Amino acid sequence: MTMDDEATLIAGLRKRDQQAFAAFFERYADRVYRLAYGIVGNEADAEEVLQTTFISAFEAIDRFEQHARLGTWLYRIAYNHALMLLRKRRPVEPLPEDDGELPMPAALTDWTALPEERLLSREARDILRHAIAALPDGLREAFVCRDVEGLSTAECAQVIGISEGAVKVRLHRARLAMRERVSAYFGEWAAV
Amino acid sequence: MTCDELIAHLSSYIDHEIDTELAAEVREHVAGCTNCRVVLDTTQRMIVLVHDEGQRAIPAGQRSALFERLQRTFLDQPPAPEADRSV
Repeated sequence: MTMDDEATLIAGLRKRDQQAFAAFFERYADRVYRLAYGIVGNEADAEEVLQTTFISAFEAIDRFEQHARLGTWLYRIAYNHALMLLRKRRPVEPLPEDDGELPMPAALTDWTALPEERLLSREARDILRHAIAALPDGLREAFVCRDVEGLSTAECAQVIGISEGAVKVRLHRARLAMRERVSAYFGEWAAV
Repeated sequence: MTCDELIAHLSSYIDHEIDTELAAEVREHVAGCTNCRVVLDTTQRMIVLVHDEGQRAIPAGQRSALFERLQRTFLDQPPAPEADRSV
């Protein structure tokens, strides 16, 4: 049996076929892990989210409706588990105001000509990771879904459970905040 | 187009989600405004860097253990009652 198409994979999972499990793990485990990591921010919690997501998916696959894409459905489960874990770890943050005034950019040094090796260094990657972790929850979720994981606006709206318009607004705010924060560091490097 | 308007349209412009007329206004503005050009360029570069940095996989040391554990849980479940029906 080939597991290339979604319907075959789902049928295999429902029969508890070992090959279907292997294909499912191969196709989605890293993606779920990445999304989870982006939200919870550390390896141990991301692994826990991956496990609970897969276990929930095995239990729910028998009721999975084919009009949703399997990946989007799985991301939604992962997203909810990641949020639950995050809420166990620290208090819930209030939702960002989508209609408040946009902050005007203040870090205005052009750092885009910095050498690749500098921008891909461990130090630069730490700066990016910390900047993502520092985003308010609602903005971080939209940012991780769209810009880290590369899902479409429509998919992110389904995963997060908000409108496409709200995804766009939060993504925009997240990008401005991210740009500001990383430019504060990279701009200094460029100014030396 | 003012700087405020450019900032408001920045994300839509990057994602090619604004109409061609507005996109032309954005290009015209950044051609004459150094600060907005820097904001646009650094935002686009940041997005690429973040995407590349985020391409992590399950740590190699954990991968096979996770696979085994989840496979066991999966195989321990009874098949769906109508597992043979076509989907």
